Amino acid sequence: MFEQFKTDLRWAGVRQNLVAWVFLLPFVFVYVAFLIYPFGRGVWISLHDWNLLAVTFNPDAKTFIGLDNYLRLFWGTEMTWRAWARPVLQGLCVLAAVFFVWRYRIGELRWSTLWQCLMVLLLLMFLFGWAPGEGGRWFDRRFWPTVGNTVFFVAMVVPAITIISLLLATALNRETRGAAFLRTLFFLSQVLSVTVVTLIWQMMFSARQGLVANVVREFGGVPLSWLAEPGFAMAAIVIATVWWSIGIAMVLFLAGLQDIPQEMQEAAKLDRANSVQAFWYIILPNLKRTITLVVILQIILHFQVFGQAHLMTQGGPNDQTQVLVRYIYQTAFRDSDLGIASAMAVFLFVIMAVFSAVQFMVSREDEQ
Amino acid sequence: MVNYKDKKAEKVTTMQKTFISMIAATALSAGAVMPAFGTEVTLARFFGSCQDAGTDVSAAVGEACIIQSIINAFDAENDDFDVTTLPTDWGNYYDQIIASYASGNPPDVHVMHRHRIPEYGQIGALADLTDDLMAHGIDPDDWTDSAREAVTWNDRILGVPMDLHANLWHVNMDLMEAAGLVENGQPILPSSPEEMMEHAEMVREATGQYYLAADFSEFEIGVRMVLAFLWQQDSNIFANGTATINTPEARNALELITGLFDGGYANSRTNYADSQQSFLNGEAAVLVNGTWVVDFYAEQAADEDVELTHYYVADFPTLYDEPATWADTHLWAIPASVKRDNPEVYEGALQLLAFINDHNIDWARTGHAAVRESVLNSDEYAALPHRSEYDNTVNIARDTPASARYGAIQDILNREFQAIWLTGKSIDAALSDAEEDVQSQLDR
Repeated sequence: MFEQFKTDLRWAGVRQNLVAWVFLLPFVFVYVAFLIYPFGRGVWISLHDWNLLAVTFNPDAKTFIGLDNYLRLFWGTEMTWRAWARPVLQGLCVLAAVFFVWRYRIGELRWSTLWQCLMVLLLLMFLFGWAPGEGGRWFDRRFWPTVGNTVFFVAMVVPAITIISLLLATALNRETRGAAFLRTLFFLSQVLSVTVVTLIWQMMFSARQGLVANVVREFGGVPLSWLAEPGFAMAAIVIATVWWSIGIAMVLFLAGLQDIPQEMQEAAKLDRANSVQAFWYIILPNLKRTITLVVILQIILHFQVFGQAHLMTQGGPNDQTQVLVRYIYQTAFRDSDLGIASAMAVFLFVIMAVFSAVQFMVSREDEQ
Repeated sequence: MVNYKDKKAEKVTTMQKTFISMIAATALSAGAVMPAFGTEVTLARFFGSCQDAGTDVSAAVGEACIIQSIINAFDAENDDFDVTTLPTDWGNYYDQIIASYASGNPPDVHVMHRHRIPEYGQIGALADLTDDLMAHGIDPDDWTDSAREAVTWNDRILGVPMDLHANLWHVNMDLMEAAGLVENGQPILPSSPEEMMEHAEMVREATGQYYLAADFSEFEIGVRMVLAFLWQQDSNIFANGTATINTPEARNALELITGLFDGGYANSRTNYADSQQSFLNGEAAVLVNGTWVVDFYAEQAADEDVELTHYYVADFPTLYDEPATWADTHLWAIPASVKRDNPEVYEGALQLLAFINDHNIDWARTGHAAVRESVLNSDEYAALPHRSEYDNTVNIARDTPASARYGAIQDILNREFQAIWLTGKSIDAALSDAEEDVQSQLDR
C-alpha cells in the first residue's frame, strides 16, 4: 500500500515536472534563440577580425584573433602604472570608500558587503593607474573617453530622473482630477519615440529660433548654440533624456506609494509629523525596493543611450557626447569592424551588470 | 535559399493575371484606363524627401523633388515595373545600405558616391554593368572622363554617374556691393589668405554682417574647405597608405579658417540649416556650400519675402598656388545579387538608370554639373541659371585619394577640425590626433 503511494507520488512529481517544462519550453526557446544565442554569437564574433561587408560576401574572410580586439580597446603602447594617474577618478574611488566605511560604522552595511565594495574600489583604483607612458599611446584613444562620457551621462541622468520622478509621484499621489491630469501629462513624453523627442529638443535648443534662445534674448542675453557648445551639449542631452524618461519612473513610484499602508501615514499625522518628516521617515523607507528597481532599470536603460547623442549632437563637439552604443554602431555599420564592435558590446554588458550588481548589493543591505 | 522576392513576384504574377483579366474585361466594355501592375524595383536614395513630387520633371525644384519626379515619371511610363522608393535618411544612409547588404536584402538600385566605390567594389558587392549599358541606351562614351572614372573599378563599370557636385561660393551681391567688392557685375573674391581677411573686414565695416557662413558644426563642409586649401598648396591628407595631415600646409589652412572666427568674420557654431538660413536672411556675404542648392537659392532670391535678393554663384577662389575645390560624383548602382538572382528586376533597374541618364539635363537644374558631354555642350545646359558663373568648377574639382575607409576618415577630420573651432583644441594637437587616427584607419 505504502509502496503504491510512493510510486503514485513519484509519477505525480514526474507529471508535474513535465507540465512545468511544457509551460516553460516556449519561453526557454525564445530566451535561448533571441538572447542566449545572439549573446554567445556576439562573444564569438568579438574574438575575430570580422569585417561586416567582407564576411557577407565571403564567409571565410574572418580570422580568429583571440582577445586582440579587447586588447585593442583596453590597452596601448608603453603602458605604465602610476599611483595617481587619474586623480579625479581615483579621488572619487577614495570618497566612495570613505562613504562605505561610514555606512559600516553607523551599522547600515555589513562587514562582508563593505569588504566586497572596497575590493571593487581597490580594483578600480588599480586599473585607473594604468596609462600610456612617455612616447606611448592608446591603441584606440577614443574608447575610454567614450566609456567616461557614457558613465557621466548615466551618473547625471539616473539620479535626476529618480529624484524628480519620486517628487512628482509623491506630489501627484492623490485622488483629484488635477492630479490625474498632471499624471497623464507627465507620462505623455514617455510615449514619444526618440526621433520625436530629439526633434523637439533640437528646436528648443536652436540658437536661431529655439525657445531657450528666445527666452535668453528677452532678458538681453546672447543665446548659445547648446548642441555645438562644449559643456552644454551633454547638458542638453541630459535634459532631453530626463524630460523623456520621468514618466515610467513616476508610474513605478506611484505604484510603490499606493502600497504604503494608509494607517502608517495617518499615524504619522497623529504624531504631528509635517510633510517633509512624513516623506523622510515614512515614504522613503517604504519605497526602498521601488527605488532600487527604478535605479537598476534606469542604469541598464541609460547605459544604452544612443538616439539622443546620435540625432542631437552626432557625438560632438569633439566627442564630448560620444557614447558607447553610438561608438559600437559606428564601428559596426560605418567602419564594418564587427569584431571590435562586438567586443565593445560585450564590455558594455559587463559594466551594466557590474553597476547593477553593486547597486543591488548595496540596496539589499539597506533592506536587511 | 528560397528567394522571398521571387516567390512574392510569382504570387503577384498569378494574382495579377487573374485580376488584370477581370479589369481588362471591364475596361474594354467601359473604355476605362487599365491600371498598371509590374515587377517591384526597390530604390534607396538620399537627397531628402519631397511631398507630392508628381511626374512633371520640368516643374520640380531642388534635388529631392527633381529626382523623385524623375523616378515617378519612369514609374508612370512603365507598366512592367513598379518602383518603390525606400525611406532613408542622409545622416545614416550608408549605415543603412551596409546593413541591408549584410542582411542579404539590399535595395534593387541605390544611389551612392564615387568615394564609396572602393569599399563596395573590392568585395564584389556591385553588379558589373559594363556589357549591359549600350543595350539599354546608356552610352559610356558620352560621359565625361571624370564621370567614367568615378564609376569604374578594375576596368569594369559598376554604376551610372549622375553628376559632378562641388563646393562653391554662394554670394550675396548686395552685401558685397556695399563693401565695395563688386566689379563689372561680378564679386571680387580673394586671391590670397591676407586678401580674404581684408575683404572680411571690409564687409563687416560696411554692413556689420559676417563675411562668410558655412556649416562648421555638423556635416563636413568645413572639412571640405580645409581640404581645398590643402590641395591649393599641393598637399593632401594621405598618400600611398601614409597619413600626411600634421603638416605646415594643414596648419596654414586651419589658421586661415580660425582667423575668420577669431576676427568675428564668421560664426563657428552654425550647423547646415542655420548657416543656410543666415545667408538667406542676408546675414553673411558668402555661403560655402555645394552645387546642390543653386536652383533653390535662385528661387529664394526671387522671393520678395527673402532678404537675399541679388544672388551670384562663384567658383571656389584660389587663395594659394593652384586652383582646387572639393568635389564628388553621385552615381546609381545595382547590387551584384540582383543581377545574379533576379534578371527581371535587374532589367527594370537598368531601364530606370537609362531613364535617369536621359534626364541628366533635368538633374543638372539643381546646380550640379552634368556628366554627359552631349548635355554639357547643349544650349539648354548653358542657359541654366547662374551656370556661366561657376563653369570653371569642373576643371578644379578634387577629392582625397580613393580609400575603402573614406567615411571613417572624413569623420575623423570633421571631429578634429570641429574640436579646434568649437572646443578650443590646439591646431597642433588636433592635427597630430587626426594623423594618428587616419593612419590607424589606413592600416586596417
